[in-house]
Amino acid sequence: MGIPRLTLSRIAFIVVWCMVFIPSTLFAESVKEYIRITKAGASRIPLVLKPIDVKKSGNGKYAQGIDLIIKDGLDFTGLFAIIKPPMNIITGGDLYQAGKRQINFAALSSVRAEVYVGGVLDRKGKTLEMDMEVYDALTGRILMRRLYQGKRDELRSLAHSFCADLVRLFTGKPSIFESKIAFVLQSAGKKEVYLADFDGYGAKPVTNTKGFAVTPALSPDGRQLAYLTYTNGLPDLHIKDLSNQKIVSVTRKGIKIDPSWRNGSLELATTFSFDGNQELYLVRKDGTISRRLTRHSSIDVSPTFSPNGKEMAFVSSRHGSPQIFIRNLNLGTVKRLTFKGKYNTQPAWSPVGDKIAFTAMQKNREINIFTINADGTGLRQLTYGARNNESPSWSPDGTMIVFSSNRGGSEKLYVMNADGRNQRSLKLAGEQMQPCWSQFR
Amino acid sequence: MKSLKNLFKVLLVPSMLFFVGCGCFEDAVVEAPPPPPPPLPPPSVTELGDVFYAFDSDVLDMAAQNQLDENVQWMADNPEASVVIEGHCDERGTYEYNMALGERRAESAKSYLLNAGVDPVRIQTVSYGEERPFDPGHDEAAWAKNRRAHFVVQ
Repeated sequence: MGIPRLTLSRIAFIVVWCMVFIPSTLFAESVKEYIRITKAGASRIPLVLKPIDVKKSGNGKYAQGIDLIIKDGLDFTGLFAIIKPPMNIITGGDLYQAGKRQINFAALSSVRAEVYVGGVLDRKGKTLEMDMEVYDALTGRILMRRLYQGKRDELRSLAHSFCADLVRLFTGKPSIFESKIAFVLQSAGKKEVYLADFDGYGAKPVTNTKGFAVTPALSPDGRQLAYLTYTNGLPDLHIKDLSNQKIVSVTRKGIKIDPSWRNGSLELATTFSFDGNQELYLVRKDGTISRRLTRHSSIDVSPTFSPNGKEMAFVSSRHGSPQIFIRNLNLGTVKRLTFKGKYNTQPAWSPVGDKIAFTAMQKNREINIFTINADGTGLRQLTYGARNNESPSWSPDGTMIVFSSNRGGSEKLYVMNADGRNQRSLKLAGEQMQPCWSQFR
Repeated sequence: MKSLKNLFKVLLVPSMLFFVGCGCFEDAVVEAPPPPPPPLPPPSVTELGDVFYAFDSDVLDMAAQNQLDENVQWMADNPEASVVIEGHCDERGTYEYNMALGERRAESAKSYLLNAGVDPVRIQTVSYGEERPFDPGHDEAAWAKNRRAHFVVQ
């Protein structure tokens, strides 16, 4: 609208270079209105995803694979409503040159699309080149054009690179597409920790403990995995370096429960009982203790840290029933966070804000997930009437929560938006529990 | 104090039975032939038993204390034996908290034994939380069996 075509193609030309060398700075301003919309929690952005075009039909199988991965990936974010593409979107121009094609915006507006995404795929030997274009379908402005390159046997990473850029365009934030989820997989009575992509794809075991590894915690840099196992019948905290598979074993007397890494550090907090009572300690990745964090005769478990690492929410029975408390690590002050109900556990502090997710056991014997602001206001129930829902863990961008639920009979992993909408299964085989979503590196 | 009282109880009951038994015997002695020698005291019939708890509790009620008294007797009768006390929880509640609660149950049973004079080197504790239910059921009958301190002879 109002942009002469010559200028447009010139912009597109610049964009190609900018996108390749200086990612997505040029168009940050043009999509502010979308950022505002998604922040306000408005409905999803209606988007048309035109199947990627290929010059040579032999590359069609790659394009189809990428189409499917992009669609599933964008679906997963819950940000977009993907609309079936209308006929004849491309009406002219250079058909195999993204950003130089004539787009039929009238057809797009007839299906109420606000965003159009298309692209052209080419192959040079084993390398795929995917040239993507994104338009504002209401104004006809080009929002992004970028060339992606990748190996032909790595379609997922190629497709997800684009998905990540598209989400960043509309939210202004990094997205979940590089993130991983650690979880416990139970099979034939044995439990080991597995690591999968954000959507549950490609799950692989990362522990080998003869069938007892639980409560996994990924470090902020994603390299260390802490978990509880039993060696010769006694509890043992393992801190495993996933890059070289080396394990530090903490065999101190007594229990070790529910490790959690402190943001902005290479230390974790966990419960030890070697001094005769269960207390929380900060532990270095070599297994040595750097600091004691609690001093109380009751149960103190399940630490989780604020984004800056200065505050720690945890579960304590110091007022009788299990409730969540927040300790300020600098001041040493402790305040109670939860007051409703008699069994509030499993706190998880959002990596982007002041919200804390937790589980409450209710009078009807369901366990449900809630969120509450760190100041104790804004209590909100996210799951209802679906048996037990446990172990919430936030996506690194704070837009989603992964959790386990036995709503379908056996225990499985599910994800939902941070407000509880859009709950769906990750559809993994077997039984899974205790998910831990990785952070951005 | 509580431990002394319990110890006293443990010693008192058998000794009273002994005296009562003797009393009856003496009454019977008039002109009868000499009595057979009194029978040897029967071998200990006490066995290590599990101790049960209320929901979200590590408190020992009367039934639990009575069972622990028997366990103390067993430890006395079997001075070579060492035990592991396993703390367990029912499936309700959440995993991590139950791991802590299980340890406190095992520790509460251990404390009772120590106060009754059992040598601490003979007792180890471990928590399995809700990991190893005794009864796989999903009702109060099953849960009640699963909230326990379980004694295992090593």
